Amino acid sequence: MVSLSDTAPVASRRPRRPAFRRFTISNVLIAILLLVCVIWLVVPFGMAVLWSLLDPSVRWEYPDVLPPALSFARWIEVWNTTSLPMALRNSYILAPTVAVTTLILASPTAYAFARYDFPGKGAAQVLTLLPLVIPGFVLAIFFSALIFSLGIYSRFLSILLAHSVLFLPYAIRLMTVAFSNVRLDLVDAARDLGASPWARFRVAYWPALAPGILASLIIVFIQSIEEFAVAFVVGAPNFTTIPSILYSYLGYNFVRPNAAVVSLVLVIPNVLLMLGLERLLKSANPAQTGVKG
Amino acid sequence: MASLAAKGISKVFEDGFQALTDIDLVVEPGEFVTLLGPSGCGKTTLLKTLAGFYDATTGTIEIGGTDVTAAPPEKRDTAMCFQSYALFPHLTVAENIDFGPRQAGVPKAERRDRLEGLLRQVDLEAHRDKLPNRLSGGQQQRVALARALAMRPAVVLFDEPLSNLDAKLREQVRREIRALQKEIGFTAIYVTHDQSEALAMSDRVVVMQGGRIDQVGRPEEIYARPETAFVADFIGAANLVPFEDMGGGRVKTPLGDLRAAVPPAGNATFICWRPEDVELVEAGAASENVIRGVVRDRAYQGAHTELHVATGDADLGLQRLHVAGAAPAEGAEVAFRLGADQIRFVRGALT
Ligand SMILES: Nc1ncnc2c1ncn2[C@@H]1O[C@H](COP(=O)(O)OP(=O)(O)O)[C@@H](O)[C@H]1O
Ligand SMILES: [Mg+2]
Repeated sequence: MVSLSDTAPVASRRPRRPAFRRFTISNVLIAILLLVCVIWLVVPFGMAVLWSLLDPSVRWEYPDVLPPALSFARWIEVWNTTSLPMALRNSYILAPTVAVTTLILASPTAYAFARYDFPGKGAAQVLTLLPLVIPGFVLAIFFSALIFSLGIYSRFLSILLAHSVLFLPYAIRLMTVAFSNVRLDLVDAARDLGASPWARFRVAYWPALAPGILASLIIVFIQSIEEFAVAFVVGAPNFTTIPSILYSYLGYNFVRPNAAVVSLVLVIPNVLLMLGLERLLKSANPAQTGVKG
Repeated sequence: MASLAAKGISKVFEDGFQALTDIDLVVEPGEFVTLLGPSGCGKTTLLKTLAGFYDATTGTIEIGGTDVTAAPPEKRDTAMCFQSYALFPHLTVAENIDFGPRQAGVPKAERRDRLEGLLRQVDLEAHRDKLPNRLSGGQQQRVALARALAMRPAVVLFDEPLSNLDAKLREQVRREIRALQKEIGFTAIYVTHDQSEALAMSDRVVVMQGGRIDQVGRPEEIYARPETAFVADFIGAANLVPFEDMGGGRVKTPLGDLRAAVPPAGNATFICWRPEDVELVEAGAASENVIRGVVRDRAYQGAHTELHVATGDADLGLQRLHVAGAAPAEGAEVAFRLGADQIRFVRGALT
């Protein structure tokens, strides 16, 4: 979308530019990207909205392109008949806690990766990515066994622990980049000018770290909200999260409109967060925009 | 009382690398001293040791008469101008300059006076509310200097402050820095690898090589009376020729037998003469210190023409001559005379 607005003024400034110039590689790539976005995001999202608003009194079948009647009845039904309100509360307490815990756990490792060279650093970096390649259910099954044998019976604490391990790789990666963005000359300058440790942090560390911290918080938050395997295996049936409800609609009692409602409850806040993240990242660092002299 | 006195400084890094050896340096108040040397010779290390970012492995540092050898940077009466400028990117020009006094708890009225004065002195009043990345390189450099000066330091330390500017701007900014230094009267220690910068700006030049000081002196002294082959070669252009001492100032060289006004010291290794020290003479002229050769290469430089002359000895490289006015053509045979008092002796090896 950026490219469209970029090319427009060029075209108007040079009206006699031949039309084939528009078919540059980058334009073609952007067009393909837009198409993929539409197929993968806009269409399913639009369908989910339509399905969730389908009035229970009618059926939406071939050859109808759009639902015959719309209402909020499904939303009300799901809200009243399932444990969605409880699940919402659980998920939105769990996810921020996981996000903060993961950030705290990841930061020392990330600092070491960014600042120090030590033997085995490459291997250590690969090792921290390991949780990414283990399927969620495998982790869930053995993790639950481990947790019970450790005598941890709190479902919340168990999922918190499991999610933190699971999403640590993202946080470590993002924070490693953030820490390596800290300019040591700024740290030295702040020190030379007599800055207190707090002032040093504020002026030299925080501007470089803030985007990474935000990105890590939001990405881990979203991952935790959407995670099903661990939350289900460790938490069910006492501790319900939003994905557990969603999965309960799959299988025998598959009700597409109700599943659509829960999907949207799950997805809409995440999309908003992602959009907010992008905006924050753009505005967070004045050093990365503008000219260098 | 000296502004800064460093005695017997050496620095060995954690990895065992010895970056500084036996550095002695005394800087008087208001003096502008440059540390000059090739890249990697330890200039930055010395500056950071003086500033307190590195602990000296041996030796003592006094600033304004107080021993600060063990003091951290914030406790030393120095302020550093970084090569990268190190301006805080999200603080405005005014906030950057005010940063130090604010941290130090200087009263508000005093802070405002300093800020206004400095903004005027570095001519940035119109840019006070801009972020650093909106400024040109030269302007950023001036903000960095103003920020350092706002601390009212006894000594300002510069680490190659002009290396990120293009050639033309560099000359302008170096004149500005020097003018400001004279106006305010701060003591400056200035690191550079650019010999013309060092000669143009300094009261005294400290030439460094391999973590040691080779020679300290006024620019004229360094240029006219280099003490080592390295200094002669690094500062300006020099012809260096090995010799054998015949006594009484007479020396035997691959260029022929020469007479120098001052006899060599015992540890001298080369005779040294500057390209512009020669005088072309008639081919047949028979007088002392006349050398004959063939012009191999000639480059017109405006004020003079540089000749590369091959002399009798094949092992010896081409000799560089600067000739004002009409110069002989390539392939011409030339004879030139070296004044006895223009032949100097230097010690040390060529690197
Ligand atoms: N932190 C360090 N650890 C080990 N060696 C270093 C360190 N900093 C600099 N050096 C080495 O010390 C020498 C001098 O470096 P430096 O003072 O930066 O040189 P200059 O500023 O003259 O170019 C170089 O050989 C460099 O590799
Ligand atoms: Mg350096």
